[in-house]
Amino acid sequence: MYLDYAASTPVDPRVVETMKTLMLDDYANPSSTHAAGRRIVAHIEHATGQLAALLGCRARDLIWTSGATESDNLAIAGAAQYRADRGRHLITMSTEHKAVTDVCSALEKQGFEVSRLHPDRSGLLDLAALAAAIRDDTQLVSIMHINNETGVIQDIEAIGSICRERDVLFHVDAAQSVGKLPIDLGVLPVDLLSTTAHKIYGPQGIGALYIADRPGCHVEPLLYGGGQQRSLRPGTLAAALIAGFGHAAEIAHGSMHDDLQHLSALRDRMWAKISELPGIVRNGSAEASFPGILNVSIDDVEGESLLLALEPMCVATGSACNAKTQEPSYVLRALGLSDEMAQSAIRFSLGRPTTAAEVDLAADLYRRAVERLRALAPRRTA
Amino acid sequence: MSNEPYSDRVRELFADLARAGDLADAAHARVDDQGVRISLAASCGDGVLEALRFRAWGCPHLLAATESFCRDYEGRPCSDLLDFGAAEVMATLPVPTEKLGRILVLEDAVHSLGQSVLRDLNDDNG
Repeated sequence: MYLDYAASTPVDPRVVETMKTLMLDDYANPSSTHAAGRRIVAHIEHATGQLAALLGCRARDLIWTSGATESDNLAIAGAAQYRADRGRHLITMSTEHKAVTDVCSALEKQGFEVSRLHPDRSGLLDLAALAAAIRDDTQLVSIMHINNETGVIQDIEAIGSICRERDVLFHVDAAQSVGKLPIDLGVLPVDLLSTTAHKIYGPQGIGALYIADRPGCHVEPLLYGGGQQRSLRPGTLAAALIAGFGHAAEIAHGSMHDDLQHLSALRDRMWAKISELPGIVRNGSAEASFPGILNVSIDDVEGESLLLALEPMCVATGSACNAKTQEPSYVLRALGLSDEMAQSAIRFSLGRPTTAAEVDLAADLYRRAVERLRALAPRRTA
Repeated sequence: MSNEPYSDRVRELFADLARAGDLADAAHARVDDQGVRISLAASCGDGVLEALRFRAWGCPHLLAATESFCRDYEGRPCSDLLDFGAAEVMATLPVPTEKLGRILVLEDAVHSLGQSVLRDLNDDNG
């Protein structure tokens, strides 16, 4: 049973068909000027239009990348470098994805300063703290839309408004939200937005970065050579993957309302079935949360054993762990969880194919695993 | 390089923790350390370990190692408990070296159980 859709989704069969056409029939290099090359360009332009329609932006403001990690790197490092002569201070949150935190750390080694704001216990950013953290030399704020571990949704409109007032660029890691929540970049005060295909039933290996066409908003490239995509991200465009992303975006656009209703019903069903377990807590805001993610911790259950006891169910642990390192999730620790509670965290992430029967089975497996492990344990001493 | 964190042996033991439980009228030992908790019980007859049971809170490797110990030591002389060493369990399951500390907690618990068992035997003989 697969309940790890926040990590990756299966490719929609309709998307596979679109990609097959390009892989088998229209396989020319889009940089070639012959007819076959021009057909590929048309496919790419069509896909760019599909993603632009989902995002409410202009097609020319989109750059294709290899995924959200590259988009985050290009946005943050690229914008920081572009605006370095104005200032070298960046702001992000301690609960961001590694694709953001690690590039920030790399920039610190290059002489940039980074402020990492902590969320409240529900995972939300304190807007007053953000406003207070912005300095005269602040150039960029990077805050994710939906947190990949907890599903907490940040108010990107309010955050972006604060950034606009202070003439600071605002980057959003929207890997978990594009195609799942309405996003209208024609209205939202967002300057840079990262996304990826494989969270919305598109292929792995393709992403995009939105760069707003406004003064002061630009990125320096990370790669050089070829001149494609206005030299901002050169390299032969992965036409089949781009076409797949475009089609997945179009499908997500059309099914977003139904998807949200479906996920909400399943998430609530799941929580109703396990919330009676003694010592269970839901991590992150219950109100400002994406319904496709339910993150729970439970008292007096060891996380790694819980994860193994749940096999073959595919879920994510709250620990950035493998058998070698059992470091508790830095995201959950930032929400104030103890190491033990953070280690016991399980992220159930639901998707379009998830059924009520699967949710019932998952809840039953979880209850039984918790009860089994608790029955094994000696009582805690005072 | 394998990214499989558990050997087949660890998986088998974890799936069938048959020695988990309690024993009445038995020698006991308990150690809480390194973020894990282990409680052991042993019943003996004629200087031989007749039954071993455990309760444990910890990772799959610790649970598997404790189950493995209980299975392996039933039927052996009680004095063997004092010879139990973490190194053998680490090698046979195997357990990643990063988890040595947890297996040393098991070793402490087994040695403590051995001392308790031998003390009871001496009391009976005295």
